[in-house]
Amino acid sequence: MQRLLLLSVLLFLAGCEAPPSDTATFSPVGVDEGMGGQPDPGFERAIERREFRFPRDHGPHPSFATEWWYFTGNLGDDDDRRFGYQFTLFRVGLTPGGPTPDSDWRAHQLYMGHLALSDIDTARHLSEERFSRAAAGLAGANAEPFRVWLGPWSISGTGDATFPITIDAETAEFGIRLQLESGSKPHVLQGEHGLSRKSAEPGNASYYYSHTRLPTRGRVRIGDKEYTVEGNSWFDREWSSSALAADQAGWDWFALQLEDGRDLMFYQMRDKQGRAQRFSKGVLVGMDGKAQALTLDRVTLTPLREWPSPDGTRYPLEWQLRVPEHGLDLNVSAAFDAQEMRHTVRYWEGAVEVSGSHRGVGYLELSGYAD
Amino acid sequence: MIAMSRSLLLRASLRYLLHHRWQLALALIGIAMGVAVVLAVDLANAAAKASFALSSQQLRGAATHRIVGVTEPVPDTLYRKLFTTPGHPPMAPVVLTHVRVDGHEGRVRLLGLDVFAEGAFREQLPGLIQGEASVADWLAQPDAAALSHSAAALLGVTTGGALTLQRPNDTYPLKVFAINDDDSLASRDLIVVDIATAQAAAGMPGRLSHIDLILDDPAAIAWVTTRLPASLSLIDIAEQTNDTAGLSAAFELNLTAMSLLALLVGVFLIFNAISFSIVQRRRLLGRLRAVGIRADELFRLVMAEALILALVGGLLGSVLGYWLGQVLTQIVAATVSELYYQVSADAMTLTWQSLGKAWLLGLAGTSAAAWFPARQAARTPPLTTLSRTALEDRTRALIPRLALLGTGLLIAGLIVALYLPGGVLTGFAGLFMLLLGAALITPASLRLTHGLFTRLPLKGLWRLAVRDLDRHLSRLSTAAAALMIALAASVGIAVMVESMRGAVSDWLLGLLRADLYIVADDNLSDDATLPTEVVQQAPLLQQVGTHSSYRSRKLQIDGRRTRLIAGELAATSRAGFEFTARGADDPWSAFDRGAILISEPLAYRLGLTPGGMLSLPTPNGAQDFTVAAVFRDFASEHGRLFITASAYRQHWQDPTIDTLALFTTPGTVAELMETARERFSGRHALLFTAADEVYAESMAVFERTFRITEVLRLLSIAVAFIGILSALMALQLERRKEHAILRALGLTGKQVSRLIVIESAAMGLLAALLAVPTGLAMAWVLTAAIQLRAFGWSMPFDVSAWPLFATVAIGLVAALSASLYPAWRAGRQAPASQMRED
Repeated sequence: MQRLLLLSVLLFLAGCEAPPSDTATFSPVGVDEGMGGQPDPGFERAIERREFRFPRDHGPHPSFATEWWYFTGNLGDDDDRRFGYQFTLFRVGLTPGGPTPDSDWRAHQLYMGHLALSDIDTARHLSEERFSRAAAGLAGANAEPFRVWLGPWSISGTGDATFPITIDAETAEFGIRLQLESGSKPHVLQGEHGLSRKSAEPGNASYYYSHTRLPTRGRVRIGDKEYTVEGNSWFDREWSSSALAADQAGWDWFALQLEDGRDLMFYQMRDKQGRAQRFSKGVLVGMDGKAQALTLDRVTLTPLREWPSPDGTRYPLEWQLRVPEHGLDLNVSAAFDAQEMRHTVRYWEGAVEVSGSHRGVGYLELSGYAD
Repeated sequence: MIAMSRSLLLRASLRYLLHHRWQLALALIGIAMGVAVVLAVDLANAAAKASFALSSQQLRGAATHRIVGVTEPVPDTLYRKLFTTPGHPPMAPVVLTHVRVDGHEGRVRLLGLDVFAEGAFREQLPGLIQGEASVADWLAQPDAAALSHSAAALLGVTTGGALTLQRPNDTYPLKVFAINDDDSLASRDLIVVDIATAQAAAGMPGRLSHIDLILDDPAAIAWVTTRLPASLSLIDIAEQTNDTAGLSAAFELNLTAMSLLALLVGVFLIFNAISFSIVQRRRLLGRLRAVGIRADELFRLVMAEALILALVGGLLGSVLGYWLGQVLTQIVAATVSELYYQVSADAMTLTWQSLGKAWLLGLAGTSAAAWFPARQAARTPPLTTLSRTALEDRTRALIPRLALLGTGLLIAGLIVALYLPGGVLTGFAGLFMLLLGAALITPASLRLTHGLFTRLPLKGLWRLAVRDLDRHLSRLSTAAAALMIALAASVGIAVMVESMRGAVSDWLLGLLRADLYIVADDNLSDDATLPTEVVQQAPLLQQVGTHSSYRSRKLQIDGRRTRLIAGELAATSRAGFEFTARGADDPWSAFDRGAILISEPLAYRLGLTPGGMLSLPTPNGAQDFTVAAVFRDFASEHGRLFITASAYRQHWQDPTIDTLALFTTPGTVAELMETARERFSGRHALLFTAADEVYAESMAVFERTFRITEVLRLLSIAVAFIGILSALMALQLERRKEHAILRALGLTGKQVSRLIVIESAAMGLLAALLAVPTGLAMAWVLTAAIQLRAFGWSMPFDVSAWPLFATVAIGLVAALSASLYPAWRAGRQAPASQMRED
């Protein structure tokens, strides 16, 4: 679910004014203006349950306005040096329907990529953003063979199979090259059989499934230095044509992998007064891969510590997460504070450590805090 | 004591100047004109350059390198390949083409960009589309176009307005999607569209004009070069700018040289004015020396006076130059826009640099001009200062020495211009030496020519006038030299242009032998080809006797964009080539065996002669070709090459044709044109042109090129005209007393007037006559050295009588006009009153 706001922003690429451009790339998004709008009615909406089919649904769904392939993970090398990574390719439908076939470059979609690497031991956070039109072979996605790419950044299957998935994303400063096995757990359908409602309005929902624990090995690079790493990744897939409701401000999203083999996802939708809304929900995935839904009334979430980012945005980076009926009383805290993504859209996304009743690692995403 | 003498000197000087307002005014005009012309040309040049620099700067943005096609446009698959390869440097694909817009004269640039790639490159251009409209629409709407504020004004559209691009068979509609507030002149002729729109509108599917790159180290450069196929090359942007700026540099140099010429004339005028004022003040100066003013004080007085004149003249000149600069910028902008690249006429800005340069030149010129008279004034002892003849004797004694120095300079100038290695600058240096030399010889030549005049069997007033002239020669010689130089420059330029016009005309007539040309017409693409149907069937039309076919394409050689033309040439077409250098072999048999013909500019630049080898980039890599011969060619200063169609097909694997030249049986041209039009024009984008149309159009371009030259020529004549006017008028006004004596001796007022007119005319004629050989020498240097050095063009030296007559006439008219007022005054006033004066 998570990056809904991000995407709803991207949806309305109404550059009503040039965004602050401290980055070198062209930034097509006017953040403030992107929030309240509605996607073009020509796009399909997630209203009813659907029958998921694979590998087809690993591929793109261009009749929907937004879609993403979202990877996060905690990795470590032989010397126990720890890393977190986030790699996401977003597909953004700009105009419904196919483009005029007058040029290979004509595009109705664009891709945005976010790549981040957290070097936990040195508390160093590296990140980069890319954009491209989905045309002329510059960026795109296929189900069979499975491949999603944005320039040189790619997510690809192996032969005809989806797994193992290879992630390859390099920048001048850093890069990752990882192989993700399917592991022992199947995918989990979020919400109601994969239909994840975001507000009271019908159609304000997404199709959402996750692979919560994918054994991962490969290399990460910082500068000239390469590290051979392994660990677990989390893979989220979501597509929709929905936007935030007018009273929604953002969300706090948790993806935790516990040492006992269970995985927990929970997101809290916040209204503009900072209160959690009833559309907040999650899932607890057992060692056997069986999923149990989590609703707001069964979970208590308490922020414990705030971190002011360099520009003064205050992010809650330590939380108490309790699910009494499953015996969970977790302390979730940032592996280190400075993991803010400062690109076209500003949010905090970083590796977290879990302690308390259970130990584990995970990823936390905080959106809607920055101006 | 010192203070007193200084104030005394200044007062004496001031009173003198105020008393001789005419003279003061004329001296000031001389300086002002010189400064004005230099400033004006500098401003016009700077405007053209700034407009170009800004435009190319804005176009290339932060790019350091560019991938261009050696033989064809860049396939967009290459961009995809590079873009999807890890480690690629910042890149931006560009489609850039020239288009015509309905209702607008001239072509504008259509620039297709990928906004997502632009951030690192051109900051302003993506800004263009971040108006109120969305990126979604920008990408999806095939008619979305963005303009700068100035471009919208130029094209007369507002947001939401329509622009119609003309295409050979149809039009391509654009809608103004956003207008940027940026009023940059560079984007004045720029229509920015999405790259997909540019490809569609320009008919360039799958192709890019170039790929811009930012490569900041050798590793990045290597990263790109190792991934480039042979048909593409990576160029340094600076080099590419040189290519485009190459001609503009020659153009600019041309203008600068002309403006310096005007200054040179100006300097002579200043020299004349100041030395004249010294002569006139001989009594005053003598008295000052007699009351104990030292020689060096007098020297400084004259110099100070000159400097004050220079400052005031410079100020006047700046105002005049600013105004003149605007006029010149208009002309330069029009010429450059038509011939090279779009320049905006309102790009002119007055900079301190231009002002300073012009002032400094004016100051230096004035100082140099004043130095000799000042020394003269200072060195003469008190008594002789009083005597005019002494001064004139002194000057007269100098004449042979000056003549000797002048001859030396003249010969040296010829050698420098014609034989010394080096570029255009060396050529111009030689030219200036030649002119200066000729100016120094002028007094001696005047005496000589005057000697001839005196032997003419003249009677009465005429005889008196001619003999009288001799006494004033020393003072007139500077004015005469100024007039002579201006006239000589005028002759030189006129003869050069005339020679070139003749050469170009001959060349065109030789080249355009066919009766009808069928050309693939595509406004939007430089690389249109003829449909196979036309190529096969047009030569079979009933009226066609023989035909030639051509395929022309851009080829990057030595960093310059040359043109390679593959030709299947009929005998008549071959006869149109004029070879300026050929090997032992017959050029055409060598050509048929696969050797190439290269144009003169290319041969000159590369130092190639027949038998030499030239390596050409082909899709299969570099290939060596033997040069069969060098042909005269004015089509491009960058160079052209001819190759046989079969050799071209073998190396370039391109069977297409873009031009057909058809030869008819006599008297059937119109009929052929009609038949061909009927047969083909409905279905294909074709241009049917008769040879005479091409000829007329080419000659029109030629005339436009030299419009600015003509303006500058007239300007330097104007400067000289004013100079001669001032010199003669001052002289005649000074001689009022003399005239009064003549009246007293019995000459009527009318006779004195006539005397003045005849004297002036004689001097004008003398200067004009001297200007003819000097001008011819200058024309020779211009054609044989400057044109060759700048463009590699050689041409026959072609002198027609008209510019020579015109020059003599201008000299006479100038001298005559100058004498009118003094003659009128001398004829009217009573002898007694004139004698009393002074």
